[in-house]
Order: sequence, then structure tokens, then C-alpha cells
Amino acid sequence: MMFSKIKSMLLLPLMLPMLLVAFLAGCDASPPEINLATAKEKAEQCVEPTEDMRRNHMVYLNEHRDETVIAGIRTKKHSLNECINCHVSATKADGEALHYPDQEHFCASCHTYAGVKIDCFQCHADRPQVLDNSDYKHKLSANSYHEMSAKKQPLNMADMLLVTGDKGAVQ
Amino acid sequence: MSNSSVNNMSQTAQPSADGNNQVDAYRRRFMGAITGTVAAAAAITLVPGVFLREVHAADVTPRPEDQPADAKIRWGMLIDTRRLTDGGESMVEACKKEHGWGNDPKARPDQQAQWIRTVKVTDKLTKNSFTLPVMCQHCETAPCVDVCPTGASMKRADGIVQVNKHTCIGCRYCMMACPYKARSFVHEPLTDQLPHSPRGMGTVESCNMCVHRVDKGQIPACAEAAPQAVIFGDLNDPESRISRAMKALGGEQIRGDLGLNTGVRYLNI
Repeated sequence: MMFSKIKSMLLLPLMLPMLLVAFLAGCDASPPEINLATAKEKAEQCVEPTEDMRRNHMVYLNEHRDETVIAGIRTKKHSLNECINCHVSATKADGEALHYPDQEHFCASCHTYAGVKIDCFQCHADRPQVLDNSDYKHKLSANSYHEMSAKKQPLNMADMLLVTGDKGAVQ
Repeated sequence: MSNSSVNNMSQTAQPSADGNNQVDAYRRRFMGAITGTVAAAAAITLVPGVFLREVHAADVTPRPEDQPADAKIRWGMLIDTRRLTDGGESMVEACKKEHGWGNDPKARPDQQAQWIRTVKVTDKLTKNSFTLPVMCQHCETAPCVDVCPTGASMKRADGIVQVNKHTCIGCRYCMMACPYKARSFVHEPLTDQLPHSPRGMGTVESCNMCVHRVDKGQIPACAEAAPQAVIFGDLNDPESRISRAMKALGGEQIRGDLGLNTGVRYLNI
């Protein structure tokens, strides 16, 4: 009896660091699990490696925006619109419009955790608007495409009429 | 200053032959490559008042998306006010729809953004009146670009004057400087902007000649809405439809006395 008590007292210093490691593992320093389901439906791989995108997406976006607005270069690879088209679904699970302040929004899900405040979406569209181009896809590499289809969105009849009316006027 | 502006104007109107010959040759070859379109364009422009869509496709030559705007080009627009049956209302509506302005929920009517508007002009003596659409005139020497403290108000290489909202601090100097009242300020938070036309609180905005469309090889939305009255094209290319029309018919500037060499020109004003 006495022996086992001494044994447990001896074990305690060994146990403590192990417990500490277990606790610290709970406070993981890496970002929360990001919801990539929306994007994975459209492509296996992002325009850059995932680790690179996590660290440098803001640099790519900043450089691309100046090239686009000032010089008029409109490549799709680092375009914010294409990020949104691929990563953000137009509606929440309950069918309502998904906007940046919502936690389900791909960008917000990590920015909230990291305490990042951005003003991109004060001006830019924060959800894809693919109603007028239902078979949208952009080229990712030589033989793969980011697909963007409107099949999942509940279509508003009035909008549909508007769009078809448009196309009629154009032709 | 006014002298130099006048010089600039005359240069633009009659480009010196040397620099442009190569460009013309290139353009002719390019146009030759898309023969079907050119044939259609040539046939159709012979009949006044009849413009088909193929013609406009030739007005703007598509540029690869990884290439910057071409400094050899200067985009411009010629508006015949007599051919505008509605005084330009359809052009205003098309612009609203293309860029999503005009119904900012909290703005008073006089605060609403106004990228393009119709202006009615009446001669005091004869009482003769007409209406013309007025938007950013895309000046060669733009006062808004001169006064901007951050460089946000800018002229692109191809002559399109626009606001780079990334650097705009909303001081509104450009609104004061513009003689055409072409610019607006967004006073309130907005949501659900159109992906191709970002607009938001605290920035100045104006007609950008539909850069997103021009870069894709399309003509601006307003020009598309009034094809019977508006020609869009390259002012620097003497063979373009707009240059030939202006050579034959003229193209007046509004407030031409300011010598700004505007890119938007009018007929019958």
C-alpha cells in the first residue's frame, strides 16, 4: 500500500509535463479549421499552394488590384472576384444571402479568429453573382478549371426574367 | 496654358503621319485578319442610321487580359443629340443597371450618385431646346487628376479617367474641380454591389467608360443602349469609325472654352 503511494508520488513529476502538453494542445496556435468545402466542389487545388495562400493572399490581392485598376491587366488568377466565386457560396444553409459579417463567410471565418479588419467588402461584392452566367468557369491550369455553377442557388423568377430579357435585348 | 491645350487638341485631331503609319499598318493587318467583321462593318456604315452589333465589335479590338491598357489608344465617344430619341434617358438607365447606382437607400435625392445625367438646354432668344446626356468627359488634361492629393483620380494609359478607390480618401477636391459636375460621393454603407463595379462609402465615383467592358473588347453600356446615336472608339486611330465620323461631321466639346480636349464629343449641340 505504502509502496504504491510512493510510486504514484514518483510518477507525478512525470505526469505533469504530459498533462501540460495535453492542455497546450487544446490551445493550438494554428488557425481554426477553414471551411474549404465550397471551393473543393469546384477545384482540387487553389491558384497557389494552400500554405502560401494562408500566409500571402493579401500580398497577391494588393499587387493584383493595382495592376488591374491602374494598368488594366485583368488576369483571373489573383482576382478577388475569382476568390469569392470559388470560395463563397451565394447563400447560407437556410437560403438567405451570405455576407461578409456572417461567420459562415469563408473570409470572415479566419479573419475573426485572427482579429483582422479589412475594408475590401465595403466596396467589393462579398458573394458570387453567377445568375447571369450559370455555366461560369475560369481556367486554373492547362487542363483544370474552377467551375462555378448556379445549380445550387434558389432562383428568383423575377431575376431570371430580367436576365433572359437582357439577353434578348442584346441579340 | 490654354495655348498648349489648343495645341494638344489640334495634334489629336490631325495626328502627324510619321508615328502613326506603323500603327495603321498593324491595325489594317489586324482588321484584315477578322475579315468577316470588317466586311460587315464596311457594308453597314454605308447606310446611315443602320448600325449592327458586329460594327461595335470592331470599334473595340479585344486585348489579351494579361496586357496593360494600350497607350497608343485614346478611347472616346461621339454622341449625336438629334438621334437620341429620348434625350439620353436610355443611356442613363443602362448605366444605372450596369454599375448599380441610383438607389442608395439612405441618400437624399440630391445626394444620390449620378454617373450620367440628362441636361436640358434652352436658347434664351429662340427658345430652341434640346437634351443631352452628360457624364465624365474623359479630358486629356483633366482638372480632377490635377487636384487629387493622393493620385486616386487618375487617367489610364488609354485615356480613360477614373477613380482608384483604393487610394481615394474621399476629400472631394475632384468634385469641386470638375467643370461638368460628373463626380459623386457615396455617403452611406452599401451592400450587394456588382462584382465588376465596386462602389462604397467614403469614395468618389464617376463614369469610367465601363473599363471592365472595354478591357473585354465590349463597348460601354450607354453606347450599347443608344447605338443609333452613339459611336464609341479609338480617337487616335484615323481609320476608326469615330475618327471618320468626327472628321466628316465634327465633334463639339461642351465647355470647349476650357481647352480640356475631352474624349466625349457631341453633334448638334
